[in-house]
Amino acid sequence: MMAATHLSADNNELLERISWSQIEANERRLQRRNFWVAFAFMSPAILLVTTFLLTPVVYNIFLSFTRWKKFKGLDEFAGTANYVKLVTNRLFADALYNTSLWVGASIIFPLVIGFGLAVFLRGVALERTFKSIIFLPRIFAPTAVGVIWFYVYAPDGVVNRFLSFFAGGEVDIGWLYQSDTVTPAIIATFVWQTVGLVMVLILLGLSAIPKDPLEAARIDGASSGQVFVRIILPLLLPTLLVVTILSVLAGFTVFDLLWIMGAANPELRTLSLAVFMYFEAFQKGSWAFGSSIAVVIGAVVLSVTWLQALLQHRVDKMIR
Amino acid sequence: MTGATSALAAEIQLFHDKGFWSEPLQTVGDAAGVATGNPITQVAYSTPEQYKAFIQSAIAGGDVPDMFTWWTGSVFSELVETGALAELDGLWDDLIASGDFSEGTRDFYKVGDHIYGVPLHLSRWVALYNKEQFAEAGVEEPESWNDLIAAADKLKAAGFTPFHATVQDGWRGFIWFQEFMIRTDPEAYRGLHDGSVAYDSDAVRNAFEIWSDWYAKGYFSDPRSNEEVADFARGKGSIYLIGDWAIGLIEAAGMTAGEDFGVFIMPNQDPSLPASVIVEGGPIVLSKGALDKPEVVEALKYFVSVDGANVWAEASGNSIGNSNAEPPNVLVAEVNQQVSADATLAIDRWWEAVPGDIQGEVVAELNRFMLDPTMETADEVMANIQELNAEYWADN
Repeated sequence: MMAATHLSADNNELLERISWSQIEANERRLQRRNFWVAFAFMSPAILLVTTFLLTPVVYNIFLSFTRWKKFKGLDEFAGTANYVKLVTNRLFADALYNTSLWVGASIIFPLVIGFGLAVFLRGVALERTFKSIIFLPRIFAPTAVGVIWFYVYAPDGVVNRFLSFFAGGEVDIGWLYQSDTVTPAIIATFVWQTVGLVMVLILLGLSAIPKDPLEAARIDGASSGQVFVRIILPLLLPTLLVVTILSVLAGFTVFDLLWIMGAANPELRTLSLAVFMYFEAFQKGSWAFGSSIAVVIGAVVLSVTWLQALLQHRVDKMIR
Repeated sequence: MTGATSALAAEIQLFHDKGFWSEPLQTVGDAAGVATGNPITQVAYSTPEQYKAFIQSAIAGGDVPDMFTWWTGSVFSELVETGALAELDGLWDDLIASGDFSEGTRDFYKVGDHIYGVPLHLSRWVALYNKEQFAEAGVEEPESWNDLIAAADKLKAAGFTPFHATVQDGWRGFIWFQEFMIRTDPEAYRGLHDGSVAYDSDAVRNAFEIWSDWYAKGYFSDPRSNEEVADFARGKGSIYLIGDWAIGLIEAAGMTAGEDFGVFIMPNQDPSLPASVIVEGGPIVLSKGALDKPEVVEALKYFVSVDGANVWAEASGNSIGNSNAEPPNVLVAEVNQQVSADATLAIDRWWEAVPGDIQGEVVAELNRFMLDPTMETADEVMANIQELNAEYWADN
């Protein structure tokens, strides 16, 4: 008891010697030091992101308000003229419509097929082998995939030969040259390449679902359908949202396959927003106008991604 | 990239977008080093789009490469308007005085009152034909429009496809369009390029009618091939209308120039029209600042000299139009002879002559016609092109 009293007196003396302001100053100094240490660790990433992402984005936005075309106009302010021109441009509506088709297709088909494959393959014999085979196209560059499938769809290519075998006569469809077949043909190629990734992500999501609620539901007499709809699907929602975000981004920015496989561009069906931007900027040299298209693509993608992030937040809260 | 040009300013660099000619260009560059002590290093850009972006930003930024390639026609005029190019009138005076080049060739690089380029290549767009198929069908080189149609009928009857044409790579749609136009109404063809003739005029409609009729008669090969040169070598078409730069590519595909395939210049539909041929002449240009660098001027002089032209011809199979140089192959020699004998007029290729702003969209429409070559489609195509054309000329 005596010792405790003695210690308390020492503490009081110590506290008297160290004023609160000194403690606060020390804490601030420590915080500053921590900040600079953290900043030093983060600086390579900050430098890279600023140099190669933020600066070009800001510069692109700046360009979209100039009159830069071909060799001149970089120093001429255009106000919103490029955006007005974009809205009234007849190709913009075509590009927007085609891109919307792509976004829709790139969400629905990979998701449905990837989901089906994930559910079907889970736990079957040779699961790993099948997964590897289905994932394989993902490792190829889109340009290489475009070139391969260009020949697959050629008038004397594999698809027509295959159909000819079953039709009993020569099938001579110009898949990439007809306005009614070019988009489905390229979308099929896109699905072939992306479905593997979607399947793997959904498989990861499925394996992360806890077993307890599933077992409890089955003990309570829930059917497989009820378990799937009421438990698996809600718990899988965060994964599905991630997949959807990736698909939307892929749909909005699709370029490689369209550029390689859609060179014939029948009735402008392969003119997506990204192709339109490239066409205006790099083929016509309308740099400022091309920049305004890029800004619009960026704004739309950001909005959709932001909306999906909000949804994800709500889903996370709902699951918790 | 402009920084890179400054950093390497000590060496002479030739910037271009013709990656497929990188090796032959370097061969000439090395030969220039041996002959003048100033080797040229070629710097290739993989696509024309990237290359144009580089040059446009270099000029906008005021750091123009000393020596680079470009295109003739409207895009050349736009480049000259920047004031970044050196006038090469003095050099051309010497080239003409020596008899190496004709005034006609010089005028290809003339904008306003001055000359701003020398030829990287000077290609004539001619009809290459399969000799074996011609012999089998009993066909001679046609000398008139009627001969041409008779030859097509005979080839067709013998089981061959008379004309080979595709939409490969999306740019080839203009080839037969320009040919029909210059063979039927060259004045209207020229008028298309300054907005004075409409794309839905009678002259254009006439060209489309012939084109559509020939498709209906089965004269043309499947336009959907993606192996145009190889398909010609495989015998999928008897007559292949293309720049003479393709001769080397056809040889690489297995045919021998002069033995397996020959050449003729397409005849006019109207025999009273003067003999003419489409010419494509990609220029090499110098920046204004390069005139202060004697080594760059010397390197350019070597490129257009007889020795330089011979090295280039042997390495690439192309001609730069130097009259005293050896032709790169027997077919170009034959074309040279025919052009001289008939005083053949050189006409600008459509690709260079048409305003660059509408070039891509117009050629997409021409491709559309080739994929569905009916007059119904032709009417739509003509209307669409004219809408683009009128819009462009209203704004410019």
